[in-house]
Amino acid sequence: MSNELIFLLLFLAPVVSSIPIALAYKNKGWTDKLPYLSVFGIFISVVMSIYILVNLDGQYTYSWIPDLGINFVFMIDYLSSYMGVITAVIAFFIAIYGLEYMKGDYRPSWYWFCFNLFTASMLLVVYSDNLFLLFVGWEGLGAASWGLIGHWFRDDDDIAYVGKAGRKVGPLEFSWPPSFGGWRAISTIRFGDVPMFLAIAAIWVFAGTLNISEINWHTLFITLGAAGTIILMVCLLMGLFTKSAQVPFCEWLMTAMTGPTTVSALLHSATMVAAGAFVFLKLTWYIEPWHMHDVPGVEYVFIFVLAIGLLSGFYGALCGTGMRERKVLLASSTMSSIGLMFAAAATSYWIEIEVAGMNLALLVAFWYMAIHAFAKASLFLVAGHLIHGTHSRFLCGDFEFGKRMKTAFAVTLIASSFLVGIPLLTAYWVKSSMDVLYEHLWHHHDMTLPLVLLIVISLLYSAVLAKFLSLNFIKGEKPKHEHLEGGGLMKLGYVLMVAMLFVISCGIILFEEAEHFRHAGGEVMSIGVGLAIFAVFVVAVYKPSISALSRFGSFLSDRMYLPYLNDYILPKIGFFISHILDDYVNPAIDGFFNTKVIPGLFGWTSRRVRSIQSGYLSRYINIVLGLVMIILVIVVILVRGVWQ
Amino acid sequence: MDLSVMMLAALVILTLCAVLSYMYRDLGLIGAIVAAIIAFWAVSSANPELTIYCAFVFVIGIINLVSLKAIKSVIQGVDYGLVGLMILATMYIFTTQDLAMILVAFVLVSVPTYILVMIREGGTNVEVGIKYITFMVLATVLFLIGAVILAYTKSAPNAILYILGYVMLVLGLSIEVGVAPLHEWVPDVFTSADPIPMSIIASLAKIVPFIVALWVLIYSACDLTASITVFTAVLAAISMFTGNIGALTSKEPARVLAYSTVANMGYILTCLVVAINPEPAFICFALVGVVLMLFANAAGKIGFFNAIKGKGAYSPLMYLLAFSFIGLPPLMGFWGKFFILASLVNVGLFLGDAGLIYYILAAIVVINSAISVPYYLRLARDLGGEWQLNLANVISLVAVIIVFITVAFVPVDWFVNSMTVVAQTIGVVI
Repeated sequence: MSNELIFLLLFLAPVVSSIPIALAYKNKGWTDKLPYLSVFGIFISVVMSIYILVNLDGQYTYSWIPDLGINFVFMIDYLSSYMGVITAVIAFFIAIYGLEYMKGDYRPSWYWFCFNLFTASMLLVVYSDNLFLLFVGWEGLGAASWGLIGHWFRDDDDIAYVGKAGRKVGPLEFSWPPSFGGWRAISTIRFGDVPMFLAIAAIWVFAGTLNISEINWHTLFITLGAAGTIILMVCLLMGLFTKSAQVPFCEWLMTAMTGPTTVSALLHSATMVAAGAFVFLKLTWYIEPWHMHDVPGVEYVFIFVLAIGLLSGFYGALCGTGMRERKVLLASSTMSSIGLMFAAAATSYWIEIEVAGMNLALLVAFWYMAIHAFAKASLFLVAGHLIHGTHSRFLCGDFEFGKRMKTAFAVTLIASSFLVGIPLLTAYWVKSSMDVLYEHLWHHHDMTLPLVLLIVISLLYSAVLAKFLSLNFIKGEKPKHEHLEGGGLMKLGYVLMVAMLFVISCGIILFEEAEHFRHAGGEVMSIGVGLAIFAVFVVAVYKPSISALSRFGSFLSDRMYLPYLNDYILPKIGFFISHILDDYVNPAIDGFFNTKVIPGLFGWTSRRVRSIQSGYLSRYINIVLGLVMIILVIVVILVRGVWQ
Repeated sequence: MDLSVMMLAALVILTLCAVLSYMYRDLGLIGAIVAAIIAFWAVSSANPELTIYCAFVFVIGIINLVSLKAIKSVIQGVDYGLVGLMILATMYIFTTQDLAMILVAFVLVSVPTYILVMIREGGTNVEVGIKYITFMVLATVLFLIGAVILAYTKSAPNAILYILGYVMLVLGLSIEVGVAPLHEWVPDVFTSADPIPMSIIASLAKIVPFIVALWVLIYSACDLTASITVFTAVLAAISMFTGNIGALTSKEPARVLAYSTVANMGYILTCLVVAINPEPAFICFALVGVVLMLFANAAGKIGFFNAIKGKGAYSPLMYLLAFSFIGLPPLMGFWGKFFILASLVNVGLFLGDAGLIYYILAAIVVINSAISVPYYLRLARDLGGEWQLNLANVISLVAVIIVFITVAFVPVDWFVNSMTVVAQTIGVVI
């Protein structure tokens, strides 16, 4: 099979296979059957991504607009070949789950088309080497996420809201319907995309190429100088931070939970929020900051990312401990994990340890991303099943309920314990290496705070997921409604998903590049942290809520009032600017174009033009002869004066 | 057979039939059509690259002839002969490189309109005739003197004479076709004369003056041309704004068309600036632009004036003509403007830093096309109606087919190719 065909199938199969259902939106008979075709389209992408992993390597270029450096350039390297498979597989499992979860929905065409577009866009982001092409996928993610988060646009079902309906804090109502959720997502993302686009344009101007692997970053940063480098990277990072919902752009992620659970699962594992962290990884992979200690400005950029990452990790984990809604709790924990990925990748500036020819910091970030993707997707899919089963989006479920939902219970137990870093379980090894990275920062660069924060975040994180486990299956309230029949495909979806964690465990045992993980797992400090995490997990399962702290908890579940920034302060600034424009700038522009100057000129010219037409020949003769004479005289004078 | 013999034969047939049409009126029409066919055959067999140009002139001429049937004039029969004469001269214009013959062709196209403009149902329109003829005489005199002076400076270079000749030629052309600010006769004549002869004056009669002017200017180009073309550019800009703003603020359809003519002549006048570099490759775009724009203008004017005469025509046809005037691709009006802009940009590139004014001129053409959108659409709305099988509709249909020709052959390679050959012949002579 030719390589063009592989790439075409990889990117287009999901989109093309969902066009029929999009076209058949009026016919219920067809929209019941056509989702299978859409799922099949994603399956083709899975096959292609595995084929690429096994057979292809290096850069593949197909011309588009070579004059502007815009081409279809795909880079098959360590990151993209694995991430592509992860994305496609996760999307495929979620799609299988979605076949049952979305049954009977009021607009399946919209859902499936956006879902598949979402997957295809992420695949484009993953494989693109060309920044412009990557940006196309990036925008596809934005558009599809808006469509999916606001999928239940009628806002008519409380189950799709985030926050308690009608609850007011100050002037703001702390509840968000799906349509508003979609709007918050797209508006936040756009806020970052514009600087990112400018940064890409600047890279083209200064580096002469848009291919990430071909840009000479070292020369580029030297050319730009310290200030230029910082401005460029911050503009670029604006796109990544908004997409990955890092502090302070995290609000949209919490209300993105208004979308169907399948969407939340995909959004949080392998697409969208992961996209920001993944692109940062990809850029860092080729920037090779550990070789840039002589370049001014680069260190500040990586300190900035480290700080934002850890801050987001801390904020997310802390807020998560106070959350009472299933999906919002998970969203908050995702934000924390993504923060850890950013931070781990940012440490690469100081880390020169190489494992199998790759930088350890980037490997840790990437492996953590992979484990997180499958574990978080499993948890979300379970949450969706629970919402269906109990008809409530709040944490609830006692041990009796847990016994009736055995599969979901088991999957949650596995996914959460494997993810938090309990010794010997999958994430433990990667987190051990992460501990080593921060220990390195402490010993060699006198940065203790990152290590302290990492440990605090890990403990809080463990508590958050333990709380999710406990309040859903063990110690929660008894659910008011229970609908436990069916759910076969949903169970299949999350069982397959969680099974992938065992596959990754095998990777950790077998792969050459995982050697450091195995080694780090035996360090005293890693074991100590791991045991502490385990202790916190057990305690939190035993005592998931502390009533004495309920006021602090509601402060946390209100996300420390950050919605005010998003829904109150920023809009006020926007309104202020729009008032200024409306009162002062618009009248001036209008006056010039619409009411005074230009129309006045038109009117004046028109009156002059028409006033000539009196109908009298003598007048016309006077005008024309006069003009001819005057022109001839002027020309003669000019000619004598100028040319002679 | 020799081209001149064939043309002579066509002229003889035309004259005989015009004379005999006093007895059999339709003989004039038949004679004109036969003469047009002979001329078409003669010119296109002698110069195959002119076939397309002649075909356009032929079709425009024939619908002009046919549209004359809609009016019962006192000189019916002879009027066909006059239009036939114009057709012959228009076809002939590219085949000769002789200044005298070129000027004769100019006069042959100009003079018949003096009589045509007075045609009216059952009488003569003397007042309009006097207005028109007064200006035409002035125009013709200025034009001919200018052309002759320019031709003279070719053999005896003289700066003052060259500039004077250039200005006189352009002024003469401006009065002749109605370029502002010398357009005073246009709105009056267009509104008070009968729409049918106006459709002829606004279409067929405009082609030759521009080609002659372009020919003479390219023929006599010298070092001074680059400085004096600014004069043409300024006239063109004034004409575009006057015409479009005038049309935008007029109500009566005939008056709107009058100002639209002023504006269109402004667009076409911009092309004369390419005379600064008489290389064939350089003037080719301008030639294509001028001719396509003239054809688009001719087809549109014929359609609209016939609609005025017939008290409305089929709505979609009117809208299509309006779109062509506005310059929507892929209609002919678009290609005309496209090549005009291309030639202006060419001049700008040729002149380098000094070419800024021609980029500005190109921008003015675009701005004016935008200004023209509302009034053409309004015109189409006012004149549009139900489909009926009548002369006005048939003629509008043919006009629409003409502006659609460029759709069938996108991009208009064929036209550019044939005009390249024409440009080369002009270039070779010079």
